Amino acid sequence: MKTNKLYLGLAAFILVVLMFMAIGNIALAEGDPDVDPVLAPLPAHPPIPTDNPSGKNVFPSKMDKKQELGYLLFFDPKISGDGGIACSDCHDPKMGWGFSDPISRGYPGTVHWRNSQTAVNSGYLNKIFWEGGTTSLEAQAPAAAEGAVAGNGSRDMMESRLRFSPDYVKRFKEVFGSEWPLIEDGYAAIAAFERYLSQPDTPFDKYMKGDKNAISPMAIKGMDLFKGKANCIECHNGPMLTDEKFYDIGVADPPEFEENGINQVTFRYQNYAKGSHEEDYRTAKSDRGIYFKQKRKEDMGKLRTAPLRYTKYTAPYMHNGTLFTLEEVIDFYDKADGVDRWGNKTKIIKPLNLTKEEKENLKEFLLTLSGEEIKLPVPKVPDYAPMADWQPKK
Amino acid sequence: MKKVFVSLLLLFTVVVVHAADYPDIAPLPERKAPNPKQVELGKALFFDARLSGDAAISCATCHNSEKGFTTTMPLSEAYPGSKHWRNAPTLLNVVYKGRAYGWDGRLDDLDDFLRDMITDSMNMNMDMQLMQERLKQDPKIVALTLEAYGDKNMGTSKKGEMTHYVARNAIIQFLETLTSKNVPFDKGTLSAKAKEGMALFKGKAGCIQCHNGPYASDGKPHNTGVPENPEVFKDPQRHFTYVAYMMFMGVDNRMNWRRDVGYYAISKDRKDIGKFITPTLRELKHTAPYMHNGVFATLDEVIEFYNQGGGEDRPGLKDAAMKPLNLTNSEKEALKEFLQSLSGDPISIPMPKGVKVEYQAMPNWKGVKN
Repeated sequence: MKTNKLYLGLAAFILVVLMFMAIGNIALAEGDPDVDPVLAPLPAHPPIPTDNPSGKNVFPSKMDKKQELGYLLFFDPKISGDGGIACSDCHDPKMGWGFSDPISRGYPGTVHWRNSQTAVNSGYLNKIFWEGGTTSLEAQAPAAAEGAVAGNGSRDMMESRLRFSPDYVKRFKEVFGSEWPLIEDGYAAIAAFERYLSQPDTPFDKYMKGDKNAISPMAIKGMDLFKGKANCIECHNGPMLTDEKFYDIGVADPPEFEENGINQVTFRYQNYAKGSHEEDYRTAKSDRGIYFKQKRKEDMGKLRTAPLRYTKYTAPYMHNGTLFTLEEVIDFYDKADGVDRWGNKTKIIKPLNLTKEEKENLKEFLLTLSGEEIKLPVPKVPDYAPMADWQPKK
Repeated sequence: MKKVFVSLLLLFTVVVVHAADYPDIAPLPERKAPNPKQVELGKALFFDARLSGDAAISCATCHNSEKGFTTTMPLSEAYPGSKHWRNAPTLLNVVYKGRAYGWDGRLDDLDDFLRDMITDSMNMNMDMQLMQERLKQDPKIVALTLEAYGDKNMGTSKKGEMTHYVARNAIIQFLETLTSKNVPFDKGTLSAKAKEGMALFKGKAGCIQCHNGPYASDGKPHNTGVPENPEVFKDPQRHFTYVAYMMFMGVDNRMNWRRDVGYYAISKDRKDIGKFITPTLRELKHTAPYMHNGVFATLDEVIEFYNQGGGEDRPGLKDAAMKPLNLTNSEKEALKEFLQSLSGDPISIPMPKGVKVEYQAMPNWKGVKN
């Protein structure tokens, strides 16, 4: 009986694989490690975690109370060490909810060491940050708010600050039922707000749902290239156009590390703080990517595949912002001449020999992955008030 | 005759018991002179804003080198985005303290306490690893460190390398230089009035029960009933900074305290509410205002406070030793004269102007070892 079930399962699996290969015109290319999910439209809203329920509404509909609280917190510098920098400073709505310097700005007195990624559609990702190190927005928010070159906040201080803003006390109570704001709830509200920053109705999504006129004939050709000759789909697949797997694609080191002292400080700091043994600490000059997670040599330089949505607004590109335009990105893959520092560079990337027209088509397709710009005004954040003015003495 | 004998015996007993209770107040002992190069490095770091998280403040922001290594404000400044709820204690003679650092005596080791002053969110909010890498970026600091520590094992793989531990050690060497100079009490040049004050200090006024030893402090927590500084609870930034500290220390009921719990934050024993570590009395001339929250602007106010037996507190909290002293005006003057004789020449180091927070790029970045 058991053996029968096993055979049945195996047969079903093979069938599914064959079906995918048939519909998705996917072939296991040379060096292809896996079967790639097909391109697909985004669901109407990101998955809502059961332990942080919120509205399923996304921009531009009206926010629910939790999202609204998260909206305030996202723009509130109380969520940082010196009360001087908010989430929105590195994830700026005017800069595609990211940051337009190649290497993101950092906490005052510091710089970051990687490119800031857009908050838009982040709710659909399972692996967040370039190292994919957190698996929820609820975990991403504290990692950013508390990191020394990001928010540099301590929980004690940030939570206490929220408790001295009567407006926050009221809102947290309404949303979470707590007598006093808790920083963990603040992070949950920020996550709910970030899920609101979703864009499931791009021209690409409309096209995939059957509106054949939603994207231009050029873009359709671009999509064919994406799935075929250019083989982007090998890693950029599924509704978010990322397999959320890890590759070293040989992006060059950013010039900032050579030229700016403050970038060198942060580079060494990251290398130190992420846990380095003596040799690594002394010799590292390039970003070792997810090697930092498990210190396996075969992970050196690998980073999580970037999603391609909203890229119209999120230049510059790559984990260190070394490519300034989509054209440069396409050229990078076309030439396939990235550096192989550690013998880890993926075999998937090969020269593509794209014509000028093909490159233009590809770019046209990439642009269909962005809708209108998501614009929200900077909200007025709640003020502090002396507790005696609004809290009865106990 | 018998009565006189009994009285003498009693007096003798009292003196002996007291002598066993606490050491006499005494001149500061000599300390080994610190290495001048290490002092030079420590001094540079003391004024260096790169030691704070957002590179906005240095040690000297709250321990002003032109104002007795404290400030004249009752309540101290703090890290940007917060405000302190206590007075900044002077760093003069702090190397003599040797225990119970901070108003609530949280730590007994100066290096540990200095580390927390740099890392605490309300003080300098600095990540030690980031601080180390910032300092390693400065060729002047790197060169000075090699000179100062090149022949000393500081636990680094190569001697003379800047680490956060070396940085703290150098600052402590600088603090070694911040000791009293030309103190009348230490030199034995007390005026007649100051001598009278000293007798009161050790006798009728009983100050010596807590203010004893060369540092003029027993290093222990006491509740003298110092009134609260209302500014702490009027200013939400001070109040939330205090709440954040209570959260950090795990104090219960932290949203409802409307007083500084003091040593209770450390011991969590309710009888310790409102206790603060006895401060030194040295260099009082240069370190007003006084008490843990700066509520007294002058020594006269402080003396009057003790003359009245201290302040008010709930039964059982205030130290039993606090009783009205019934000092005459002339006695108060004498006491003040003695207290002032515990201060030496002003120690003032000009605040360096235009210290730049900047980081030069290392030439040959890829070629040098980190």
